[in-house]
Amino acid sequence: MNEYLYQQIVIEKAHRVYRKTVGEIAEEYKKQSLAPAERMTRRFEWLCQQEEPVLLPGEKISFLRTVRNLPDVFTQDEWEKIRKEHFIHELGYQSNLAANYAKVLEKGLLALKDGADACTCRSIDAILGLTARYAEAARETGREDIACVLNRVPAYGARSFPEALQSVRIMNFAFWLEGNYHNCLGRFDQYAYPYFKKDMEAGVLSEAEALELVEEFFLSLNRDSDLYPGVQQGDNGQSLMLGGKRADGSCGFNKLSELCLIASRNLKLIDPKINIRVDKNTPDHIFALCSELTKAGLGFPQYSNDDVVIPGLIGCGYAPEDAVEYTVAACWEFIIPGVGRDVANIGALSIPKMVDICLHRDLRNCTDMAQFRACLREQIRRGCEEICQKVDRLWFVPSPLLDRIMDDTKYLNYGVHGVGMSTGADSLTAIEEHVFVKKDITADRLIRAVDTDFAEEPELLHLLRYETPKLGCDSEEADENLCWLMEAFADALQGRKNEFGGIWRAGSGSAMFYLWHTEDIGASADGRRKGEPLGANYAVSLFARPDGPFSVIRSMTKPDMKRVINGGPMTIEFHDSMFADEDATFKVGQFVKRFIHMGGHQLQLNAVNVQVLKDAQAHPEKYPQLIVRIWGWSAYFVELDRPYQDHVIARQEYSL
Amino acid sequence: MIGTVFDIKELAVHDGPGLRTTVFLKGCPLRCVWCHNPEGLNPKPQLYVRKHACQNCGLCRKPCNHPDCQIFGRCLHICPQGLISISGKQMDADALAKKLRRNADMYAGGGGVTFSGGEPLLQAEFMLAVMDRLEGISCAIETSGYAAEETFRKVIGRMDFVYMDLKLADDALHRKYTGVSNERILKNLEILRHSGVPCVIRTPLIPEITDTKENLEGIQRILKGLPHELLPYNKMAGAKYPLLDMEYPYDAMQ
Repeated sequence: MNEYLYQQIVIEKAHRVYRKTVGEIAEEYKKQSLAPAERMTRRFEWLCQQEEPVLLPGEKISFLRTVRNLPDVFTQDEWEKIRKEHFIHELGYQSNLAANYAKVLEKGLLALKDGADACTCRSIDAILGLTARYAEAARETGREDIACVLNRVPAYGARSFPEALQSVRIMNFAFWLEGNYHNCLGRFDQYAYPYFKKDMEAGVLSEAEALELVEEFFLSLNRDSDLYPGVQQGDNGQSLMLGGKRADGSCGFNKLSELCLIASRNLKLIDPKINIRVDKNTPDHIFALCSELTKAGLGFPQYSNDDVVIPGLIGCGYAPEDAVEYTVAACWEFIIPGVGRDVANIGALSIPKMVDICLHRDLRNCTDMAQFRACLREQIRRGCEEICQKVDRLWFVPSPLLDRIMDDTKYLNYGVHGVGMSTGADSLTAIEEHVFVKKDITADRLIRAVDTDFAEEPELLHLLRYETPKLGCDSEEADENLCWLMEAFADALQGRKNEFGGIWRAGSGSAMFYLWHTEDIGASADGRRKGEPLGANYAVSLFARPDGPFSVIRSMTKPDMKRVINGGPMTIEFHDSMFADEDATFKVGQFVKRFIHMGGHQLQLNAVNVQVLKDAQAHPEKYPQLIVRIWGWSAYFVELDRPYQDHVIARQEYSL
Repeated sequence: MIGTVFDIKELAVHDGPGLRTTVFLKGCPLRCVWCHNPEGLNPKPQLYVRKHACQNCGLCRKPCNHPDCQIFGRCLHICPQGLISISGKQMDADALAKKLRRNADMYAGGGGVTFSGGEPLLQAEFMLAVMDRLEGISCAIETSGYAAEETFRKVIGRMDFVYMDLKLADDALHRKYTGVSNERILKNLEILRHSGVPCVIRTPLIPEITDTKENLEGIQRILKGLPHELLPYNKMAGAKYPLLDMEYPYDAMQ
């Protein structure tokens, strides 16, 4: 590792000294009545000029953001008008896309000007202009090696591994500067591999040198990440996928994949977010390597199971040759690099809210569980319909550069998170068990208790919370309710078409809705008190006391996840003492393998130590580098808002 | 057949090869001053209260009519935070075996079930009855080796792997720190040696008690080449005593 660079960027943050703020531009653009693509191009050209080339001592991969802010291209009034005419997703700029980096590495940007429109050509010229200024600066400071690389890429195709890394870094930098966000890195170990392999075989690159380059490349992705927009610092979508099946069906895990796992473990940084694709044939040593990375406590890697995801995507209408190329968007949503423009997080259905509505409206009128289920099925259908109807005349600000690095769009599907599945399933189980089977709680009493947050009913709270079957507790009924819920959710979106002819995909992610969705419901029938957060993504409830990790994956892998394949990992926390030695760490890898064999679709496994987290809350100054996993990304613990910190602490943790 | 179990731990990573579930059987004839599983000592069910989070709302002190609460003088079914539980569940061999068999697919690749405690040999008949119902599942035991020769022989003959402790070589010290003589243990160690069952002998490293040069050399002389593992002292060892209303003897000695 380049210790000096690490010290400068991560510890001292000395590179931030070069930053400056630029003024607003939207009023001027408005005055000139510029078209959106023109505005994006003009801003990008301007920012490329405003950027000052900075070469950090000893670096091999250049480019550093020196413009701190990204002035909007529309004024407030203009946005208001646009929002009246269109459905605007989040910030309105393009996000959660994985560009076709391979295209730039193979052909170079100049070749991509062929057949491109004027805005695209100008944007390409702008980033190449900045690259030329960087090359000049490198030459002036005696860095002929860097100048040489920058003279070649990204204008032309890369010829070596260092050129490939520099090219990807510049493109990633350019996507952010263009105003796109959650810029995903896709299947890095696949598109960068030919250059790595060529250099290794030619003997011009040693394994140690390659590792150092990968580390520096990863470090470069952390230089500007505090400038990227997100719900919290770290929520920036720089996800990188490793391994997985190749088009010919063979295993794509290669030496470069391995170096990426090692580099991430050595650096212990929040970017890039490491994902890995595995399947039932993945050899044990890969699970062991991954487990070594999990031990580092970053929340990496997140696993996706090819045996479930690929057929799941094919079931959604993706061509097999595209499905096999899947990666993840910012967090965990499955997307196809280049050809996929899915808006994978366009809505979120609160499952607890659906149950809550039926609890209040229908439960008194139901004589058995089947009737209640029928009401809930209808409510989930309505809930989905509402989400679908809201999305009308969707529009994104066009991005001339990013659009060119994408391919012709083949997929424009929408994805909806199914939030709070376990709270929903456990609430259903509570209703089934107590109102209909044992009949020891009447509908009226249950509703009253939920409405008063169990204030007068401590014994009932205890019964529902701690003595009623839950997911992860060897209960057929609870597991059955989860399967039923997932199916009802999938059914409710099945067959719906969006305005572009795409489909609506059901998913199991939560994003920040594990907090937000508790705001408009009270307590729930599973004994969750008012305001208590839901589980992150697809996890057992925070206060559940499952029998253990085996029982948890047994419950959570029961539903047919191929039908709920928008993405969203089963999330589980292990105490860091589970990774005490090599043998134990290997066993955790074997546990992941079991999850994959049982048909789990995606897994987020975190090594945590609650004692350390609590101490970090009390003494943040002692833990500037402590990293935790939030929902689909990792962050510096002390930089998070308190509710997110508390949620990490409250999650289920299995220890020795 | 009924046994008393105080915990079942899935994915126990230090209790034998592969992925395992460890069953903790309640009751132990030894009283090691450093014991970190105090709930394993008494063979009877005990009240277990996570006091540190208690907000003293008093709900559990109100008289109730639940039959299982009466002997404890506390209501077990009302704590809003779920802090009160009973350590030690009476379980039928059938039910326990069924629970363990449910995870049989996890044990592929050398894993299985480990019986620990307490001292599992105290409930040898129950353990064997459970094993009768675990056909095809690899079993291991973690034992102090303190049991009648016949019991010991019978049980280890059924095991695929044995972890046995040898804490102190010197009998007087063994009596002082564990409450019993090591005579039986040493005899059983020879039985284990000649049984051919794969084993590891473990010594917990307790500062100034078992980690002395003299003791460790003495143990080596006894083991004569048997596989040996040293377990680091668990700094959290005393944490559970207050939850059981017990005192940690190791602290008292300091």
